[in-house]
Amino acid sequence: MILNKQKVAALLDHLSGARDVFVPATVDGVAKFARYGEGVQPDFGMVNTTMPPKDLLFPQTQKMYHFDVDANGSYRIHEYDESREQVVFGIRPCDMRSIVCMDEVFLTKGFVDEFYANARDKLLTVCVGCAQAAETCFCDSMGVDPQMAPNADVMLQDCGDAYLVLAQTEKGEAEVAEWSAFTEEADAQPVTCDLTLKVDMEGVVDKLEGMYDAPIWDNLSIKCLNCGTCTYVCPTCHCFDISQDMRRKDGIRFRCWDSCMFSEYTMMAGGHNPRPEKLERVRNRFMHKLNFFERRYGMSLCVGCGRCVEKCPVALDITRLIDEIGAYDA
Amino acid sequence: MPSIEISHGCAKGERPLVPQVCRVVEITEETPDVKSFRLQTLDGKKPFDCEPGQLGMFGLLQYGECMFVVSAQSDEWVQFTVKKVGLVTEHLHDLAVGDEVSLRGPYGNWWPTEGCKGKDMLFIAGGIGLPPVRSFLLYCLEHREDYGRIDLVYSASKYDDLVFKEQLFDVWPNDPDMHVHVSLYHEDPQWDGEVAYTAPFLDSLELGPEDGNRVAVICGGPSLSRTCRESLLNAGYSEELILTTLEMRMKCGVGKCGRCNMGGHFICLDGPIFSLAEIATMHSDV
Repeated sequence: MILNKQKVAALLDHLSGARDVFVPATVDGVAKFARYGEGVQPDFGMVNTTMPPKDLLFPQTQKMYHFDVDANGSYRIHEYDESREQVVFGIRPCDMRSIVCMDEVFLTKGFVDEFYANARDKLLTVCVGCAQAAETCFCDSMGVDPQMAPNADVMLQDCGDAYLVLAQTEKGEAEVAEWSAFTEEADAQPVTCDLTLKVDMEGVVDKLEGMYDAPIWDNLSIKCLNCGTCTYVCPTCHCFDISQDMRRKDGIRFRCWDSCMFSEYTMMAGGHNPRPEKLERVRNRFMHKLNFFERRYGMSLCVGCGRCVEKCPVALDITRLIDEIGAYDA
Repeated sequence: MPSIEISHGCAKGERPLVPQVCRVVEITEETPDVKSFRLQTLDGKKPFDCEPGQLGMFGLLQYGECMFVVSAQSDEWVQFTVKKVGLVTEHLHDLAVGDEVSLRGPYGNWWPTEGCKGKDMLFIAGGIGLPPVRSFLLYCLEHREDYGRIDLVYSASKYDDLVFKEQLFDVWPNDPDMHVHVSLYHEDPQWDGEVAYTAPFLDSLELGPEDGNRVAVICGGPSLSRTCRESLLNAGYSEELILTTLEMRMKCGVGKCGRCNMGGHFICLDGPIFSLAEIATMHSDV
């Protein structure tokens, strides 16, 4: 089954009738996944959005519950579920891999994060394969196929003028069955996407075990500004803070993205901080991406999207770090 | 050397991030800046069942929530012992009996009460490190026949900083085969006992490993932890038989918000309780 690219706009109009559909688009100068509608022009030629799609499942700021405190100091908690049916149309295979990582974090190990789970259940993922890569893309080195995301509900492989439509889950099959007005029964050949940026991950995870005190982290952290940009644009960075806001007697408890690059992130009451310097914070971030997560969940926490490579103001480049780890001679 | 099996990642639960509303039913002023709070649900029940050493996120909806070890429990209540060190704990110290608070949990793993059966127990704590250790000590005293000789080595900066003074000086010394050793770091007009830092005080007591039959349990600040670990290792204890409960800043309590990691392990979920042998295998910033 194929979907002609000229039919995509009509399909989006159809989909957005009943659900919020998010597409890659540039809004107010920022490339992100924006709600399809007036003033939002989908751009499926864009290689990668600046902001990842993670906020569809894990909003940058998310209300968890309301509370009020009455005159006697009594508490009432009102639970809150903002999740709604959403479609992400045009998510790339690297970002789909990031959802595999986030599913592991939020849905496993004894506790299911209810807010993530609610949003995840209501999200339909329509992945668009990549026909071309940015200079900073290195997903295939991280085990991602730029034309295939196995966990997407629907995979659209780029074949030039059309997409080859693959329904990959029950949800995806049910969805595609409703698309007959837009699709055709035909075959097409996905184009090959060549990536020029390569890294060699062979042996990196194991080698890092013995490199916790290597000088490599000093060299890397010296130029880091601890601005946190890498963590905000990263599709897999999932750290959050929990805080509250109180107006008169009404309050909300919310969570919001946090960053391991900030010293307050680990600062304890009383003043002790286990990661007081840039060195410890930078090391923790890259070890988490390339080693800790692999050990805990059996997969890398870097998907090779290249956003941090592109956006870091001091060109602190994870691909060069991986090269250095590979070349490191203890 | 036989090691003690410690469970990790054993806490489980539904809807982990939304607290329940509880009520303060009793407050004990332990020191000028430490208070213990007993909590019950609004209908007078125990808020949750937990094992000794597990954690609870205790707070006030308008100010925030913090993670504490459940310092004691009964069939009717759980207790948290809180030192006033920051914004939330200052507000917790303003609580009165009957006030409502938020509570979620239990989180984390628990002391290996089974694995330590038949062993002599050496508890070591400094300052506000006693409440987490006490959760295990109280269990041992409730199941006295299951454990051998019990020693508690406890230090604090000043006399006023010693928590649970009544138990330290009047109750525990009278328990059978329970030996309480207390020192202060500094001379104090209210104190005529030992003045020493914890590690040299511990050394002076000559409480050896008894051929692997004594388990050491430590909780204290970074320097106490480091020096007492060294003392125990020098005395011949194996890393498998030195247990500790760790602390880092925590927000979610369920291994998702990220900040309390030691390498790929999260203290809130996989810990807080680890043996020194386990910690030795981790990439630790703690």
